[in-house]
Amino acid sequence: MFQRESLGVADAEKARDAILGALTVTDNPIALAIADDHGVPILLMRQDGAPPRMLRRARAKAYTAANLGVNTVDFRDVEIKAKNRTLSDWGDPMITSLQGGIAIKHNDAVVGGIAMSGNTTIRDEALAAIGLAAMGVK
Amino acid sequence: MPNELVISYEDARMAAETVVKAAGDRRIAVAVTDPGGDVIYATRQDGASAVDVRNAERKAYTAALIGRDTSLWRNQITHDGRTVADWSDANTTTLHGGWTLRRDSQVIGGLGVAGSGTEDRDEQLALKGAEAAAQLSVDVWLTKRDPTLIRDR
Repeated sequence: MFQRESLGVADAEKARDAILGALTVTDNPIALAIADDHGVPILLMRQDGAPPRMLRRARAKAYTAANLGVNTVDFRDVEIKAKNRTLSDWGDPMITSLQGGIAIKHNDAVVGGIAMSGNTTIRDEALAAIGLAAMGVK
Repeated sequence: MPNELVISYEDARMAAETVVKAAGDRRIAVAVTDPGGDVIYATRQDGASAVDVRNAERKAYTAALIGRDTSLWRNQITHDGRTVADWSDANTTTLHGGWTLRRDSQVIGGLGVAGSGTEDRDEQLALKGAEAAAQLSVDVWLTKRDPTLIRDR
């Protein structure tokens, strides 16, 4: 038997509050997903006006980052584009290569994933990084 | 064009946080959806399982989409001699703990709780959140009512 660290709801709420505080008037309504290392949601939210598909995308991004242990943009560039693969190679319908999902690591282990949707994918990733920083992990 | 009332993010979060507070140390998951069953806010407390978060979502989805609290819906379809399979929707459930959220007689969303240990406790906790959301309707009504139209009893 062994023990491993896991992301907690208190960590997720720190990220949520930091992201909400960082939004500007130019941002669209956002969706946020924070998942544990299995990709199972710890916190999901969708602001008024954000379509349901935004949260579905955010969930998929967080799931991908958590399960693969990489940021979704790196997954796209390094594993998909550079190696001429497709998402089908992973055999998992939840996997996505959309930018905006960041793997959460602590003590060199993946403990979860955080992802945003609603704005440009670059802005999504920047906001997710703000949430990551608020959690005090890498 | 008809207007659809939808529970807001702030109200959904408040209802979910009311449930979490009422649950104390119990490791639960709570989900609040819009009338279409799509999640607006969901939270999984430390120690709650993947099944709990899935079932909280399914309960909220069912309560919103069917327009019945999940326990009531179970009684209804049992009485009618049907099963959940008749709805051809794998996301629907009759597990207790899903409450339909309404305002002005319209469904504005659904709230589901799972993981408290028993279905009945899940339902009681979900009711706390539904009551908190319903109180918002009462508060709005209080601000709009005309006191001169209230009869002096």
